[in-house]
Amino acid sequence: MSLRGLVKHFDTRLAVSGVSLEVPAGSFFGLLGPNGAGKTTTLSMAVGLLRPDQGEAVLLGYDVWRAPAEAKALVGVLPDGVRMFDRLSGAELLAYHGLLRGMPADVVDQRARDLLDVLELGSGNRTLVVDYSAGMKKKIGLACALLHAPRLLVLDEPFEAVDPVSAALIRDILHRYVSGGGTVVFSSHVLEVVERLCSHVAIMSDGVLRMCGTLTEVRGERSLQDVFVQVVGGRVATGSELAWL
Amino acid sequence: MALTPTAGRVPVWAFVRLKLRITGNGLRGRPARIVMFVLGLVAACFFAILGHAVFALPGLLDRPEAGEILFPFGGAVLILGWVFLPLLFFGVDNTLDPAQFALLPLRRRTLITGMGAAALAGLPALATFAATLGMVTSAAQIGGFGAALAGFTGVVLGLLFCVVLSRAVISAFATALRSRRARDLATIMLAVVAASIGPLELTLLGVLNRADWESVEVIAQVTGWTPFGAPYTMGLDVAAGRAWAVPLKVLIVVIAVGGLLWWWSRTVEQAMVGAAGGPGRGRAGTSDGRGPVEQLLFRWSPRSRFGALTAREIRYWWRETRRRAALVTLGMAGVFLPLSTAFAGGAGSATGLAFVVGAIAPIALANQFGYEGSAYATNLATGVPGRLEVHSRAAAHALFTVPLLLLVAVVTAVLERRPADIAPQLGTLLATYGAGLALVMPISVRAAYALPDTTAPFSLSSGGGFSKTLPGVAALFGALIAGVPVLVLTLWWPWLGLPVGLVYGVGAYLLGAHLAGAMLDRRMPELLAAVTPR
Repeated sequence: MSLRGLVKHFDTRLAVSGVSLEVPAGSFFGLLGPNGAGKTTTLSMAVGLLRPDQGEAVLLGYDVWRAPAEAKALVGVLPDGVRMFDRLSGAELLAYHGLLRGMPADVVDQRARDLLDVLELGSGNRTLVVDYSAGMKKKIGLACALLHAPRLLVLDEPFEAVDPVSAALIRDILHRYVSGGGTVVFSSHVLEVVERLCSHVAIMSDGVLRMCGTLTEVRGERSLQDVFVQVVGGRVATGSELAWL
Repeated sequence: MALTPTAGRVPVWAFVRLKLRITGNGLRGRPARIVMFVLGLVAACFFAILGHAVFALPGLLDRPEAGEILFPFGGAVLILGWVFLPLLFFGVDNTLDPAQFALLPLRRRTLITGMGAAALAGLPALATFAATLGMVTSAAQIGGFGAALAGFTGVVLGLLFCVVLSRAVISAFATALRSRRARDLATIMLAVVAASIGPLELTLLGVLNRADWESVEVIAQVTGWTPFGAPYTMGLDVAAGRAWAVPLKVLIVVIAVGGLLWWWSRTVEQAMVGAAGGPGRGRAGTSDGRGPVEQLLFRWSPRSRFGALTAREIRYWWRETRRRAALVTLGMAGVFLPLSTAFAGGAGSATGLAFVVGAIAPIALANQFGYEGSAYATNLATGVPGRLEVHSRAAAHALFTVPLLLLVAVVTAVLERRPADIAPQLGTLLATYGAGLALVMPISVRAAYALPDTTAPFSLSSGGGFSKTLPGVAALFGALIAGVPVLVLTLWWPWLGLPVGLVYGVGAYLLGAHLAGAMLDRRMPELLAAVTPR
């Protein structure tokens, strides 16, 4: 995935100002940043959900905005803060995704059953996704992104609201996917997860890319937490103010 | 040292100020909302002046006997309006949601008085007060100062009753509707009620036409002794020399208000906890052994993208409450419009009006992308071409609508006792439906707007909804006009109606769908942004 000079304004606010990013194939790429840094906006522009004011996004050699069909066919997306067709059951939702991707019905059936079983969502479970818990919604969203075996996964906050057991399961799935040759780009503000998983890291704040590189390059001798706080700025300790507490 | 804050006294006007501040902030920097607010202001002024004039008429004309009937009934209608209008149409004023106060150390009494005072400081309450003051004018004209004073007491008590009753009912609803299933059900029920208002009105008019005035007077007197009429008849009672009735009626209203306050304070506590309640349980437990694709698709759906899109749409028309409510309303309108006109008018009027149903039907699609909101991102991320999107949505809608149109054609023809009319009638309906679709499809792409991202049944429009629905209304009239040629044709050559109507409707639809598809291909991300609630 390669982003070149992406810019996005919302009304008068500059949400993303000129982000350029190279994600090497086969890497496990973590996009870090505090809330409101522009991570979701950047990833939305990268996968064709949001039209950038300037710049271009190239996925596996296809420009998302010039050759959308080819680019989108190779990418699996888990958007954050976006609803799914949640009045379908989990199985129905997967079938919908599979058929929209143009997959044959029997392949869809078999893969959907596999995913539902592995993610412990139950292939015969007729509960509507709208009644799922937050963690289950993340899992079914991930299943939808994986169903067509894409070569690139773009995941926005995949670990938010997920319980520790499911998070471990998702980590394992993603590890296996990367070691099988896939590329994962995901955003998070949970530093521990990023430190444990990623081969490459980028740090964003205020719509600008502050640092980018392999984990060891970015981290150096320090912990990722220290680097992050130093890059993003902001206070992490109190002085004498809250003495009454 | 930690200081434990005491449950201090919070003045009532703090709530009022909070509400006004929230209203003001909601308007800041949003011209559309300001326009809607001003429109609401104008409407409230209009209502206040009109109501005042109507209620002042018996006094100005010196006709107390007219007041004896008008005041209790008018007052009762106002009070019922306070209960049902927010539930059915306007959405509940949730500027001050009790759940937001759940964590604050407030006594229940403080909360109730504060919320009550805040509810009084709103356009509806002010307009109601101004309108009902007309009754005081009347009482002063007929019975002098004493009557005016009694009338004024009554009007103030009546306003209190309105506010407390509506707050209590809404609060009780809110607690009863905590699970999604209950809310879904309530939405459908409300749609049925709303759709049946028209037919009810016709029935009521018929009953009124036959009723004699003496029984009406008796009912008016009885109403005057219930909390619904009591506040509004005190002034006239004094004027008519029944001053002894006033303390009794005051007592009736005060007891009623007190009882409602008690009920409200009971439910408000549950409503405060409600926000933290868990999600409702769905159809868990029932297991389905079929494969995922079988579960999604219908037996006759093609195993393709088109099949998946239509199957999802069909399921959504049934499972998504707002859509189902739209279908229910359309069904009621489709059956009752021809029925009621056939009863009211002579032959021919039903045929003339039935084709309106064909134009109403596509309106449900005017904001079709708004229904599912940001879920459209799925179709965008998987790259569904615009034409396919439009066709699949129209196909799913037609699956529900075309049988309904057939039913309308049969019903009208049977009512008119001219079975031969079924075919031309269906032709006209199809022509208007097709033309309506052709107009509505591009509108749904260009003028989509976000619906609030909740399943709450009472928040159907996110404020200022009216101006956003204007394109849909325009499409309705456009479809009516477009259907006229076919209608005229069937008057001369009825046998041509069905084939020409079918060809005309399909042709118009294809043109509109082509346009909308091309438009959608250019505007997919913009459409997603438009329907994503902020």
